[in-house]
Amino acid sequence: MAAYLSMGEAHRRITDYLARFSDAVASQDVASLKPLLSLSSASPSLVSLADALNLLQDSNRLIKQSDRYSQFAEILAPLFRCLQNYRLHNLVDAYPAYEKAANAFIQEFRNWDSAWALEALYVIAYEIRVLAERADRELSANGKMPEKLKAAGSFLMKVFGVLAGKGPKRVGALYVTCQLFKVYFKLGTVHLCRSVIRSIETARIFDFEEFPQRDKVTYMYYTGRLEVYNENFTAADQKLSYALAHCNPHSEANIRMILKYLIPVKLSIGILPKDWLLERYNLVEYSNIVQALKRGDLRLLRSALEEHEDRFLRSGVYLVLEKLELQVYQRLLKKIYIIQKQKEPTKAHQMKLEVIIKALKWLEIDMDLDEVECIVAILIHKNLMKGYFAHKSKVVVLSKQDPFPKLTGKPVNA
Amino acid sequence: MERRQNHHQQPQNLRRNPSSSSSSSSSHSSNHRPRYRPPNRAGGDARPHSREDPYLDSGDAAAGGRPRSLARPMRAHASEAAAGSSIGVRERQEQHRRDQDREDDRDCRELASVVGTCPHMCPVGEMAQRERLRDLAVFERLHGNPAKTSPELAVKKFCRTISTRDVQLLDIRPFSVLGSTLDYLMSLMNSTPEPFETVHDFIFDRTRSIRQDLSMQNIVDKRVIHMYEKMVNFHVTSHHKLRLRSSGPDSFNISSLHHLNMEQLAKVLTSLYNLYDLNRDHSSTHKNEPEYRSLYVLLCLNSESLPEGERLSLWFRRVPTPVIKSKEMSFARRILRYFRTGNYSRFFSTIAAEASYLQYCALEPYIDKVRALAVLCINNGGYKLHPYPIAHLSNLLMMEESEVESFCNACGLETSLDEQGNKVLPTKQPAFEHPKAGYGKYGFSGLENICRGREAEENV
Repeated sequence: MAAYLSMGEAHRRITDYLARFSDAVASQDVASLKPLLSLSSASPSLVSLADALNLLQDSNRLIKQSDRYSQFAEILAPLFRCLQNYRLHNLVDAYPAYEKAANAFIQEFRNWDSAWALEALYVIAYEIRVLAERADRELSANGKMPEKLKAAGSFLMKVFGVLAGKGPKRVGALYVTCQLFKVYFKLGTVHLCRSVIRSIETARIFDFEEFPQRDKVTYMYYTGRLEVYNENFTAADQKLSYALAHCNPHSEANIRMILKYLIPVKLSIGILPKDWLLERYNLVEYSNIVQALKRGDLRLLRSALEEHEDRFLRSGVYLVLEKLELQVYQRLLKKIYIIQKQKEPTKAHQMKLEVIIKALKWLEIDMDLDEVECIVAILIHKNLMKGYFAHKSKVVVLSKQDPFPKLTGKPVNA
Repeated sequence: MERRQNHHQQPQNLRRNPSSSSSSSSSHSSNHRPRYRPPNRAGGDARPHSREDPYLDSGDAAAGGRPRSLARPMRAHASEAAAGSSIGVRERQEQHRRDQDREDDRDCRELASVVGTCPHMCPVGEMAQRERLRDLAVFERLHGNPAKTSPELAVKKFCRTISTRDVQLLDIRPFSVLGSTLDYLMSLMNSTPEPFETVHDFIFDRTRSIRQDLSMQNIVDKRVIHMYEKMVNFHVTSHHKLRLRSSGPDSFNISSLHHLNMEQLAKVLTSLYNLYDLNRDHSSTHKNEPEYRSLYVLLCLNSESLPEGERLSLWFRRVPTPVIKSKEMSFARRILRYFRTGNYSRFFSTIAAEASYLQYCALEPYIDKVRALAVLCINNGGYKLHPYPIAHLSNLLMMEESEVESFCNACGLETSLDEQGNKVLPTKQPAFEHPKAGYGKYGFSGLENICRGREAEENV
């Protein structure tokens, strides 16, 4: 508390806030209401209000002073407590106070017929999450169990329930859903997304097209990621591509986030991104992988995976990328085939396993006959290669027509 | 940002807000009698599913519902508040605000640590009652008498519906007793003539009760890790042994035992991982953590996770880096890669060369799946005029030749003899089908080595 603050001034600031709050509600002015709830904005007016509250210590009396304010006491009193704690960097106590205020706000919100306050509700949903995250960080730093984010998730589910009804308020449900996704992803309790997704996608009160564009993009991004984790590549492609197509083209950070997951999906269905795309959006961790696929260079794939192992594991795409190995084998064998065709076109469709072993040795990869035969058998089984292998002669005989079918946008056969 | 310690007073009666939707809270009352009241769950609220206690497996009892903090000494705040004049205005303000917050703060800040006092493996009251009701397992009967037991034989049963109002301390076994109880149970694994399902059933139930007692006493420190590891050993070994027995007249019963075992295994593993995380210092790993983490990967090879578990892609995100780089986890990840890419050649040779006994047991159900895939690929892709030698298949799939034949038959394929009289598998047979579950049990050629490795470990 740097500058000197008089009691009178403190008094004035608090009453000023109370007046603005009640006026905003009375005139259904959401633009004025929003900044009053937006804790994390750390606006000068909120900061100075918090100082005033910390000095005065008895704001309840001021709230009760007039009916105009006391009708909102259930919201304002805990909100003030929150501000005081927040100002003193005590997030662990700030969070429950904000939740209490938010809870009271929702009760009021329920009673308002129109959806005028929806954007204020968005602010609250956002603040609940962000405040809980910070509180948990503080708890962890003090050697305690982080538990506020979990509580935030429960609270947001409640908010979702309030919005999930007929009437104009329901368009807000997607925003809250996205906040829930962020909470669950952070907590790692991703399976909890299922119930909200089910509500959004099957409840008859919701029409997906009605939701605001921004929320639809965020929703598709998260559900797209879930499809990546579940390895449903066709669905993942659809959702992430939707997000990409409808994303704000100036929002580079968001585009990058979408691409981070879309690229592995596209790679899995045989579609390679251009180099400029990777550079433009700083996704160069995928460069060598794309190269490896183009060249059939197994060593490059493995080294690229190792180099960025941590990053890929943390984002959850490692297993998807690892599986690209089969496509790299396909490419390698195709190259051998092409070379053979140039040397001796009539015999090109017969490939000795020894030749494959030699090619791999060049790439510093050791494989014995058994393993090569196994790989060949698998490629045939998954329709990445057409032909058969002759065990005794240790030879692969490729089909004369289209021996290396392209993936054409479908994932490799299970 | 200031770093502050959260000093907490121990309030005598926490008022619980019944409309709370957040996690359940607990109360601690200072009665004269040392009674323990397990936490109440916050009613049937709107929280989606997730009945599980994320931090401790309490075996499904009502006790142990919430995340707990580490048992760190809580400094008494009372003395500081009393010190009055030496504390500035700021501290008093904070104290004032904290008191206000605490009034309606539903969250529990700390739990009293309760210590049970039951000196035997089974509480005296329960022993007497079960003698009366003749509810004694075969291992608990004194000289085979179904109505008589002894403190050396009776072990406390798992009780699903513990009255949340009061549980006597005399009914809870303290940590040392729980440790010796567990050791006794583990010793039964190999030392009784009873059929394995009976042993399994008994140990399954009684270890669940041990976890319940641990949870009620909020014991979450390092000491418990080894106990949980032993319980995982039990479930993983059962995973293997029950499979061996699931054919014949009792097979339905046993397969449901197998399924329930998997469920419990998942719970115990999750608790174990939470214990590792809770007790981690300097981001190191615990001695056995890499192996026990690797088990999760091996149990979930085909990307369907354990019941209520996480997908592997998500699960890996939260594994500490030293564990990822460990030998055991590297093995598991390679096995995963070979499984997913269908590289049956390396799949089997790597298991034979590197698997520990526990790891083998965990991935055993997938071995026949990969064998079926191999047979399928060979049958599909093999040249019709070059039938595949069974001897070679036997090496590839780590199976005895006779079992290879039988396995091929289970896949709907016929074997025959070539001109030299060697057994072969003709390829391009049209009738391939995956072997029905539980059709037959096949061995693994490298198993003796793996078991020998295990004995060597146990003797260390």
